Amino acid sequence: MTTSAVNLRAVWKRFGKTEAVRGIDLDVPDGSLTGFIGPNGAGKSTTIRMIMSIIHPDEGSVQVLGADAISAKDRIGYLPEERGLYRRMRVTEFLKFMATLKGLPGAGLDARVNAWLERVQLTDASKKRCQELSKGQQQKIQFIASVIHDPELIILDEPFSGLDPVNARLINRLIRDLHDAGRTIIFSTHVMHQAEQLCDRIVLINHGEKILDASMTEIHARFDPRTVQVEPSSHNPADASRLGALPGVERAQWNPERHAAELTIARDVDPQDVMRAAIALMPVRTVELRKTTLDDVFVELVGEAMPSSEESGNG
Amino acid sequence: MADRMHASPMRRVWTIAFREFRHTVITKGFIFGAVVMPVVMFAAFAALGLLIGMQMTPVVGTLVVIDESGTVAAFAAEELTPEQVAKDMQESLRRTSALKNWPGSDAAQQATASLPSIDVKVESVQDVNRVDELRAKVQDGSLLGLAIVTPELLNANHMDAEGNELTFTLIVPTRSAPRLTGMLEKSIAKAIVKARVQRVGTDYTSLKALLALPETSVRRMSTEGAEADENAIAKTLLPMGFMMLLWIATFASGQYLLTTTIEEKASKVMEVLLSAVSPMELLCGKIIGYAMVSAVMLGMYGALGIAGLSAAAMGDLVSPGMLILMLVYFVMAYAFVSIMMASVGSAVNDLREAQSLVTPAMLILTLPIMLWLPISEQPNGWIATISSFIPPAIPFVMVLRVTASNEQIDTWQVILSLVWGFAWVGVFVWGGAKIFRVGVLMQGKPPSPRELIKWLRMA
Repeated sequence: MTTSAVNLRAVWKRFGKTEAVRGIDLDVPDGSLTGFIGPNGAGKSTTIRMIMSIIHPDEGSVQVLGADAISAKDRIGYLPEERGLYRRMRVTEFLKFMATLKGLPGAGLDARVNAWLERVQLTDASKKRCQELSKGQQQKIQFIASVIHDPELIILDEPFSGLDPVNARLINRLIRDLHDAGRTIIFSTHVMHQAEQLCDRIVLINHGEKILDASMTEIHARFDPRTVQVEPSSHNPADASRLGALPGVERAQWNPERHAAELTIARDVDPQDVMRAAIALMPVRTVELRKTTLDDVFVELVGEAMPSSEESGNG
Repeated sequence: MADRMHASPMRRVWTIAFREFRHTVITKGFIFGAVVMPVVMFAAFAALGLLIGMQMTPVVGTLVVIDESGTVAAFAAEELTPEQVAKDMQESLRRTSALKNWPGSDAAQQATASLPSIDVKVESVQDVNRVDELRAKVQDGSLLGLAIVTPELLNANHMDAEGNELTFTLIVPTRSAPRLTGMLEKSIAKAIVKARVQRVGTDYTSLKALLALPETSVRRMSTEGAEADENAIAKTLLPMGFMMLLWIATFASGQYLLTTTIEEKASKVMEVLLSAVSPMELLCGKIIGYAMVSAVMLGMYGALGIAGLSAAAMGDLVSPGMLILMLVYFVMAYAFVSIMMASVGSAVNDLREAQSLVTPAMLILTLPIMLWLPISEQPNGWIATISSFIPPAIPFVMVLRVTASNEQIDTWQVILSLVWGFAWVGVFVWGGAKIFRVGVLMQGKPPSPRELIKWLRMA
């Protein structure tokens, strides 16, 4: 039987008249890598802060790692969305300070800090003050601070924001390693393809309510594909309008990069019928039923496109 | 999994406290501001006298006294001998009560050691028509000065027709040092008096002895019948010294607490900390950390002060009981100031915003400074009694009262002030902790007083 690392029951949080979280029930399975997605102001960060017991729910219960959130603090690693370091503290000193707060004994702390700095390729920065580091380096130090005590549950709020592709790949790999080592990971993101690549489970929050909570397999099964991609042999963009006139096609759009038309299929139409009709209409090189993306799911459930990570704010 | 110890709340509190202490005390800013600066200032004061002495040029030259009677110049010459100038200065210093018990007893003599060498020749001129010629000599610097003494000044009645005191004229070169001018002025004035006394046929030394005001030795009698010396200046300054010590020790740390809390909010490190500790643990850690900073300052300056008093043979002004009470009131004062600064720091985004929230409390806290004299003079008076029950000024006023009074203030008042004061500390901690809990996670515009009250209700 799968146990829950995080268990929320009918949790409500209000700030004045604003209902930031509205009766959320949530189970994050042990060992899962769960993505929290949702538009700005949806209630993601508030939910995370309640899991971290930084703020407390007005109603409902929060259980983390089988205990109440406060007593589980030492077993949780947290990278907040708004990054913060003691600017004048030296890197090693800061990491040791955070590790001590999280209950690690002094013995062996230096070796642990050095090992982590090596993993993120920042050994040269160990003696530097935090304010001397670049933004990306600071972010990596904060990532270490959130995992140095080897927590059972790791919560990462927008871990990739502000990172260059090389460092983003490095953090991505570290998250996978931690997941492979059996850690439960929750991460909130605005970047759909990252969530899609990394997560085995997705929780979508909108207007303080959970509107989706499923594994990626379940999502792919539940949200059947509605886009057919047709590459005509002619590679002629004008073919898009001919394909758009097929029965059951709601919209047709030419994708110049793929030299293909993307057909959006009406909900009550079988995509196989449209594919057969396209082959019958014109000579084609490829016809493909495109897999549902998280973006598609998001648009379908929230009704609008996901903002880019640069536009992200408090969730 | 890591070999994790159980991070108890106390361990987390101490980890934060030591970080705050270490990053405040072992910094160039603190070492320079709290240790080096006072030492440098003390050394500068000590060096000042030396520098003044070094800068003094020898007083060598001629002073001309135009006086038709021809009697004043001789007396002026007596007054301007190096021995007489030094004697006058010593006498003046000895009259200062605070220096009565100065170690070495002849400190006044030491003080006059820095006097410049004096070799003044006093010339008497009875011909008043030579004024212009002698003026020119003053102008070109050939004379130290020219004194014009009218005959009427030597009369027993030396008033003009309107009843005003007659004056003598002293003409000195533009570059004459004020100290030299003062010395010449005083010597000629004394010489005129001596000439007057001589004119009426009386012996000046006897008359001076007769007219000298006796010095006072005030003995203060306690209700138990014990007598003690009165040192008026020390008794007035000591309470202010103690209160300022308390003020500096608590407010310097309070200021650190305010700025670091604001910095932690601004640099977003607050949420990182709150993922590891509770707001109360963070608040306690910060308060304990800066209490240690405050204790270092209090200990350092307090020890210097007591060493200074002992060196001045005034150590008996401070009793062990007084020191214990001082420590208890320090705890109370620090609790008031620190909780206030931490909660304000948590609620605002920068120091400018903090000022508007701190100002009302600061107004109350300046009360003891404004009322220093009435409280010191009448530590059991109604002003002192009432103001010692107004929070958060309680500990500051009580320190003034406890150190000012020769006889102990009523024990019930001390006990009541402690009970009442610490009860208010409890109220401040309760409210401050609530504001801190909400404030640390708030961003945007600072709260209005109404919003603060709302925070108190919602936290």
